[in-house]
Amino acid sequence: MAAHAATGAKTATNDVSHKRRKGPGALATVYLVIYNVVMTAGWLVIAVGLVRSYLAKGSYHGLYYSIEKPLKFFQTGAVLEVGIVPSSVVLTGFQVMSRVFLTWAVTHSVREVQNEDSVLLFVVAWTITEIIRYSFYTFSLLNHLPYLIKWARYTLFIVLYPMGVTGELLTIYSALPYVQKTGLYSITLPNKYNFSFDYHTFLILTMISYIPLFPQLYFHMMRQRKKVLGHLEEHSKNE
Amino acid sequence: MSRAAFFEVEILDPKTKAQLCFLDKVEPHATVAEIKCLLHKCYPKWYPARQALKLDPKGKTLKDDEILENLPVGTTATMYFKDLGPQLGWTMVFLAEYIGPLFIYLLFYFRLPYIYSPKYTFTSSPYPVVPLACLCHSFHYVKRLIETIFVHRFSHGTMPLRSMVKNCLYYWGFAAWLAYYINHPLYTPPSYGNRQIYYALILFLLCEAGNFSINLALNNLKSDGMGSGKIPCPTRNPFTWLFFFVSCPNYTYEVGAWIGFTFMTQCVPVALFTLVGFIQMTIWARGKHKMYLRQFKDYPALRMAIIPLFL
Repeated sequence: MAAHAATGAKTATNDVSHKRRKGPGALATVYLVIYNVVMTAGWLVIAVGLVRSYLAKGSYHGLYYSIEKPLKFFQTGAVLEVGIVPSSVVLTGFQVMSRVFLTWAVTHSVREVQNEDSVLLFVVAWTITEIIRYSFYTFSLLNHLPYLIKWARYTLFIVLYPMGVTGELLTIYSALPYVQKTGLYSITLPNKYNFSFDYHTFLILTMISYIPLFPQLYFHMMRQRKKVLGHLEEHSKNE
Repeated sequence: MSRAAFFEVEILDPKTKAQLCFLDKVEPHATVAEIKCLLHKCYPKWYPARQALKLDPKGKTLKDDEILENLPVGTTATMYFKDLGPQLGWTMVFLAEYIGPLFIYLLFYFRLPYIYSPKYTFTSSPYPVVPLACLCHSFHYVKRLIETIFVHRFSHGTMPLRSMVKNCLYYWGFAAWLAYYINHPLYTPPSYGNRQIYYALILFLLCEAGNFSINLALNNLKSDGMGSGKIPCPTRNPFTWLFFFVSCPNYTYEVGAWIGFTFMTQCVPVALFTLVGFIQMTIWARGKHKMYLRQFKDYPALRMAIIPLFL
């Protein structure tokens, strides 16, 4: 799930208490800055690719193909940040895993959904979110965080998060008939390992899991927003 | 040098700071446990096991055996109370966790209605390994129940209800999942036939005996009265000689038994259950191993946590 919430979590508290916390060492900081700059650039490439493709084609349809490769590359590359980024490993890991799942196990695997508009919906949501998120990390590491980026990070999710989730759910939903018809990634009995797996049912269960998970993450981000942006309003009042 | 004066203890809610209870004439050498009993009298719903008392709302929970006059408080002590929720004794927890898999497996073994296709209801498998597996699985959990009731001595510790529900879901769920496949009408017996089943059964039985021996040995250690002051060591029983090599041979044997069961049934869900169990038990074993190392200066250097010479 596009859990923008995940990475918002710990960073908010880090912002507030970064004076008390010891930052990473010099070498680690250089690595992290390079990583975050590269990721920001990567998602900018995807954004530019989308815009150019739209202008060339004149329609929203089938824009996925123009950014398929960089999307796969940079979204999968996010695996590197699990445990590195200032957020809980569990939350980051979960978010990256669900993004990678959608990129490879749904969109890549089921060709027929690649033309769907729902794909564009979540790609746009992810792109904007990641550009802001990675530049947020970059500036934070360099201790020069423009308020605009912080504001964007903790405000735009209000629209982007539901947008991404809608795109993801619609994409999985449209993949269902093809998965059922072809038996994709499914194993039936009998077999010598006495195991069976129905990918179609698995996808439905995945969709259902959004119901408890999405509100939790969304309201968590809301609370983080109050903490981070509310705190700053207090500061400016005191000054 | 004990003070003649009595203490007063006020217990507050950490969020609202409202006073929940005021205890006067508390003995200076009263323990936290005794204070919890006094609080229980004010609020019968909150039995001591579900109370967490702290000196600071964000601080650490006070241990039951801490003495009032040794705490950094004046003659009027302020404590903060947190409700840990309903608690269950260890015995209840283990009974619930083990009875589930025992019965759930049997539901699948006897092919109760609505599990498999209606034409298979109440039928049985033509393969001898299927009733054998049922026997082994049931034996495993009956043994565990017996050990829980007669062998294990648990501390007065408790577990929160929520944890127990989570654990039960895990054990019961996995039992249902693996029982579903082993007792399925389309079950395929092991590729290497009777030989595979036979050797797997031997491994299973040896490990069950081993695990039982270790549990007995550990229990005898506690009943010798020294509490936790003795290093567990091998006895005359050959199964306990695994203590030469590992700190927690009970876990080693447990994994061994499940490996045996995996090969006996040749079933992926069983393999997965074995793997997850192995990971969990390794974490526990390493924790225990570290504790032993800290506690005993002359702890045998050869010993590993769970796998001899390796892990």
